[in-house]
Amino acid sequence: MRKSPNAGRRRRVIPAISVLGFLVLLLTACAGGSSPGGSKGSATSANLTWWGWTPSVQVAQQYIKAFNRKYPDIHITYKMLTIAGYNAALRPALASTVGPDVFDVAPGGANGSVETYGPDAVDLTSAVQKALGSDWKSKLSPIGVSSMILNGKLVGLSVGAVYSGTVWINKNLFDQYHLTPPTTLEQWASDCATFKAHNVGCFVQGVGQTAFNEDTLQAISDNVKPGVWAKAIQGQVPWTDPTIVKALTIWKQMFTDGIMEKGALGVQQYPDANNDFLSGKYAMVMMGTWYMQNTTTAGMSAGISGAGVSSPKNFTAIPILFPDVAGTGTTGALYGDSDYGIAVNTKSSHQAAAVTFATWLGTSTAGQQQVADALDDIAALKGVQPNWPTISLVQSGAQQPVLSKLISGAVTSDEPRLATVSPDLQLAIGSATTTVASGSATPAQAAAALQAAAAKLPNHGAVG
Amino acid sequence: MSSAGTGTTVSRTRQSETAAGHLGPKGRRRGPRRPPGLPWILPAFVFVVGLIYYCIGYTGYISTLNWDGVSPNPKHVGFANYTQAFHDPVFWDTIRHTVIFFIVTFTVQTALGFTFAALLHSKVKLPNLYKVIIFIPVVLAPATMAPIFRQIFSANGQFNAILSDIGLGSLAHPWLAQSSTALPVIMAITVWEWTGVTFILYFAAMTQIDKEILEAARIDGANGVKVLTRIVWPNVRGTTIALAMLSVIGALKTFDVPYLVSLGGPNYATEFLGTLIYRVSIPQAEVGYGAALSILLLILSLVGALAFGLRGTRRN
Repeated sequence: MRKSPNAGRRRRVIPAISVLGFLVLLLTACAGGSSPGGSKGSATSANLTWWGWTPSVQVAQQYIKAFNRKYPDIHITYKMLTIAGYNAALRPALASTVGPDVFDVAPGGANGSVETYGPDAVDLTSAVQKALGSDWKSKLSPIGVSSMILNGKLVGLSVGAVYSGTVWINKNLFDQYHLTPPTTLEQWASDCATFKAHNVGCFVQGVGQTAFNEDTLQAISDNVKPGVWAKAIQGQVPWTDPTIVKALTIWKQMFTDGIMEKGALGVQQYPDANNDFLSGKYAMVMMGTWYMQNTTTAGMSAGISGAGVSSPKNFTAIPILFPDVAGTGTTGALYGDSDYGIAVNTKSSHQAAAVTFATWLGTSTAGQQQVADALDDIAALKGVQPNWPTISLVQSGAQQPVLSKLISGAVTSDEPRLATVSPDLQLAIGSATTTVASGSATPAQAAAALQAAAAKLPNHGAVG
Repeated sequence: MSSAGTGTTVSRTRQSETAAGHLGPKGRRRGPRRPPGLPWILPAFVFVVGLIYYCIGYTGYISTLNWDGVSPNPKHVGFANYTQAFHDPVFWDTIRHTVIFFIVTFTVQTALGFTFAALLHSKVKLPNLYKVIIFIPVVLAPATMAPIFRQIFSANGQFNAILSDIGLGSLAHPWLAQSSTALPVIMAITVWEWTGVTFILYFAAMTQIDKEILEAARIDGANGVKVLTRIVWPNVRGTTIALAMLSVIGALKTFDVPYLVSLGGPNYATEFLGTLIYRVSIPQAEVGYGAALSILLLILSLVGALAFGLRGTRRN
């Protein structure tokens, strides 16, 4: 068979064209992705994947089930990752083309940081305008809007907010030993002495997991003098301010007065402190509004089972204001952030359906009612309150008024919790708390070290 | 002289090429053709170069960046991340912890593993049961054991309860809450976990010792201790060196136990290079600095392994 004289050249040209074509396709694929407002694919039919560290699988399934009543053709698979492993998993996933369609984002420098992952998220401004109208900002909790905007782009839709500044008590134990919840440092120490005399743990805090120490220290600082903590985070007040030093001194006193459990420095908030409280070993724990989920019969049973108790016996968990440990009379400070927002991946091929889910959960009354009723977050859509008659609380008479008051008090707070703190500053605050607790630094020395660390950080360690 | 010399060299080269049957006149191949090796080693070569050396090279490149891991605009900072490491007191703490950790765990594991192996080479009942008991910790995942150890060594844990029960209540401590005791707890857990491997390797090495040597020593009047120290111990030196090398690398890579049990705390008392790399790279998103620490870890691992390898070679 005779070969064409051009056969050799053709043999070289065809692979070259193939390679060129492949490269063009590759570059096109790489350049592709974001479409304005997330218009790719069908808005009512798709298979979506949702990655998050919160809510729990049980709560997420409730949301998805309710969502599917309106959008039966959008199937969502929720993958819950650990708090510690979320960033490690999400970072490469978003860099690839097979990442999740929707993912959790949160304000601040910690998990799912809006600042870090914002560039990978679709701008949801037009979607939320379509859902709520041009005055959409006025219909949503301000704390959930401002913290989700990055360079004018609405990175995610806040699902709800969490606030801290409360101590949760086991009312059954207080009733059993005829004690009243502490309102001062002295009474707190006295209550602890009584509990310990009966071989019951008093107040448990996972001091080894330093991020939660910040909650307690902020509560003490706000009790000493409101506003100083928030200013210190912004670099407007040095960490050596007398209020902060006083807060660290009281923090240390909680250890020496026997309020903190022995060995708190070796305990982690999750799972140790959480399990210790839910299994009834301790009477008090420093937790925020996210602990409301343990006030329902189902939530409490699940929590106790998760704490390793084989035959769960529900108890009445109630939030109390942080005691007046400084004796100033200024109590009741609550500080919070958007718990998490739902972001849509710019590389998702089902952006329209993903936007449908994000807007339903973050802006619709039906979606937000689900959020409020789960008692996990405080709803982002203004006016949505838990539908109490449908929620089965462990002891409704004792819990519902307190929870309603907590929710109404929380939504009026504009003091941020972790949203404006960079991970480096969090680390420095954590070091200050543990060095003071262990006695390796005095409160003044720890405050000076914290100030020195913050001074080296960009923007003094403040985010946003 | 010089040209003659050159001509001789060329001539010798051609002779050797021709004799080998590789190249004939005009460079054509002649004689039996040896199959090219490249296609055979290519898959392994691609795997090794692609997955390992490329990653090391890429990590080295990242270590010169100020980068959070996702930002499209990383900033080149040269060797600033390395300078930062050398000025970071926590980095030096991790080195100190690693050295202490290696010395203690290697010494204790070697002593225990060697003793167990020697005992199980003697006439004991149910030897297989003991072997299983010693080896079981090796197969248990640290993630499943960490909460148990946190409970055991907590202030109200079982370890303190045992101390109180045997009249040593004054020694009870919140073991994981104190900087002075947290690292020894981590080392104790590691020894518990890995002594099984040391034991198995020594047990296998002891089976290779010629029985005639042992019998000759006994005939010459050596007692059990002398046989162990003068005959057995020198004969398992290769295993000891291999274990030392593995222990150095293991100490440098330590991550799971300190991270899961104590989160590197309190006050960085149980921080190791592995936990530090994770903390700066993931929660703090300083991927460039984390990469620089990884490269330093690699260098330290290589130096450690080479030091023990060369020492073993020289002795042999």
